[in-house]
Amino acid sequence: MATYRPGRWPGLLTSISSKLAILAAALILGAAIGETRIPPETVGQVLAMKMFGGSYPVDPIDQGIIWNYRFSRAIVAASCGAGLAVSGLVLQTLLRNVLADPYILGISAGASTGAVAVTIAGIGGGLVSLSAGAFVGALVAFALVIALARAAGGFAATSTGQVILAGVAGAQLFNALTSLIIAHSANAEQARGIIFWLLGNLSGVRWPDVWLAAPVAILVLVIIVVHARALDAFAFGSDAAASLGINVLKTQAILIGAAALVTAVMVSIVGAIGFVGLVVPHAARLLVGPRHGRLIPMTAITGAVFLIFADIVSRIIIPGQVLPIGVVTALVGAPAFALILVRGRGGAR
Amino acid sequence: MHRNVAIGLAALASLSLIDAAHANETNYPLSIDNCGQTITFEAAPERDVTVGQSATEILYSLGLGDKVVGTSVWFSDVLPEFAELNSSVERLADNDPSFESVVAKKPGLVSVSYEWHIGPQGIVGTREQFHDVGIPTYILQTDCVKDNSTGVDGTRLEMYSTDALYRAIRELAEIHDVKEAGEALVADLSRREAAAVEKAKEANAGDVSAVFWFSSAEMDVDPYVAGRKGVPGWMMEKLGVRNVVESDEEWPIVGWETIAKANPDIIVVAEMTRRRFPADDVEKKLEFLKTDPVAKEMDAVKSGRIVIMDAHSMDPSIRNISALEVLADELPKLK
Repeated sequence: MATYRPGRWPGLLTSISSKLAILAAALILGAAIGETRIPPETVGQVLAMKMFGGSYPVDPIDQGIIWNYRFSRAIVAASCGAGLAVSGLVLQTLLRNVLADPYILGISAGASTGAVAVTIAGIGGGLVSLSAGAFVGALVAFALVIALARAAGGFAATSTGQVILAGVAGAQLFNALTSLIIAHSANAEQARGIIFWLLGNLSGVRWPDVWLAAPVAILVLVIIVVHARALDAFAFGSDAAASLGINVLKTQAILIGAAALVTAVMVSIVGAIGFVGLVVPHAARLLVGPRHGRLIPMTAITGAVFLIFADIVSRIIIPGQVLPIGVVTALVGAPAFALILVRGRGGAR
Repeated sequence: MHRNVAIGLAALASLSLIDAAHANETNYPLSIDNCGQTITFEAAPERDVTVGQSATEILYSLGLGDKVVGTSVWFSDVLPEFAELNSSVERLADNDPSFESVVAKKPGLVSVSYEWHIGPQGIVGTREQFHDVGIPTYILQTDCVKDNSTGVDGTRLEMYSTDALYRAIRELAEIHDVKEAGEALVADLSRREAAAVEKAKEANAGDVSAVFWFSSAEMDVDPYVAGRKGVPGWMMEKLGVRNVVESDEEWPIVGWETIAKANPDIIVVAEMTRRRFPADDVEKKLEFLKTDPVAKEMDAVKSGRIVIMDAHSMDPSIRNISALEVLADELPKLK
């Protein structure tokens, strides 16, 4: 089951460095493009100054916008995109179900309920932040779905459909709770604020969010890359994995835990962004095939770059106003996915 | 002879006085066109229920507090001069009351601040529902001049103006047969409005720009700010202040990037008793402005030109005038 023969290492390095170059370019674009026009040389000067030292006569407002608003936001978008995409990939492989993703499994719905419970119903008496509420909600929902699936015998190798059904039921339950709270006590303005948040919003992102999102994304990515071979085995079912000497329960627990963690953290920072976890792994699979050694990096980079661009579009598509990023991911992502789908099929013939 | 003339003149004079008094009385049955519907009154309503704080405060200002048997939809504390009166009035709900709770008070009139409460998709009930059980509804003119079929808050088709507010005051006064009180209230408010405009002219502060920050869904995210055509837009236009926000929506969400780049001379922050979003707290808003890496670089923050203003005064209400005075007071300091 060796993923890479020694002779392929240089190829892997080239592949990783080209991916990092694409990521860097996307991050710089994220810092350069926004609601207001700032000259490219100013963008370059600010980034150079902040990363490599030196000093240029740059307006402090421009400097703040580029470094504190846009660049930090692009890094969080990249972390979220990569994190949500690989978590979708892991869930799809482990559950052997092409529909598995944090959204379908109710994690995002739970996060939304947690957030709404804190902001609108006032649970926690103002001491709990919206993010903390979302985090707790995500974990509670996922724990509930897993428990329900186990009770239904779903995690016993064969009937992974049970997990999806449990997820659908969980998502419905938490969406209903969210609606209940909104209908019970929100006025029009609050409902608007919450809907905006439920569809994802990166406008509140600052550097402290980077120090949470980026390490979590990298940690989870490392955990998943380490298990690339195990994931290849799980693609043929947990019996096949067990027959290859993999500790099925332990590995499942680690990987699902990692997926739940990254989703809960990302949703708590930027809101519930759908589409990425479900579609990006499929796009990556069509591009590089099913082997996880190549699939994981491809999924991560595609998710990262996709979300950076979706965020840029959300900022500039309506002048003077912001569109929820969840709307953009679906509007831009669906046609992009269709394109890959059609071309991928052509390639497979 | 002279004496007779004098008596005759006196008699004439007293007759015309009686006429004048008659002119200030409402002739019932009274029909009024309100938001596209005709409402008719056989006599002045004796029991009022209000859906909306501004409608409530207008009735209080007209001296009709003793007729109000139920209130609802409160954003902030009642005006201090009505605190005692208000404490004896039943509050049906802080937010939206149910249809039945309103009807149960057997009101002779339901006065409403916002059409979305009793409009075609009214969350309290439709106007027809109320009219079916014989209860007339009056929507403040300030909301009739909007397109309430779009968006959550509706869309203002033209700049807000106190004309609509004054018309609402006069109509509510006529319905309740207190036309004189209505004229007196309108006269007082118009005089103060004109004085504030005059003050701004004298200040002659040149090109002054401002932004009105209402609240934000979360502390750091893009804030809800005042668009061009709502009450803050009207205040700014009256006083010759430029709104850095160019949206026609009443309360659009605009990025801090755009606001900081526009670098307004004055930042007006809303003060409210509601605590549902963190940014409802004026202290949190001030803290954000002083600590956010971009916001703190704005000139208004650096030089402390941050005006704290009652949030309800940014909605169509009699408080618009005191808000206009607050903003006008700020302009001479800019020289």
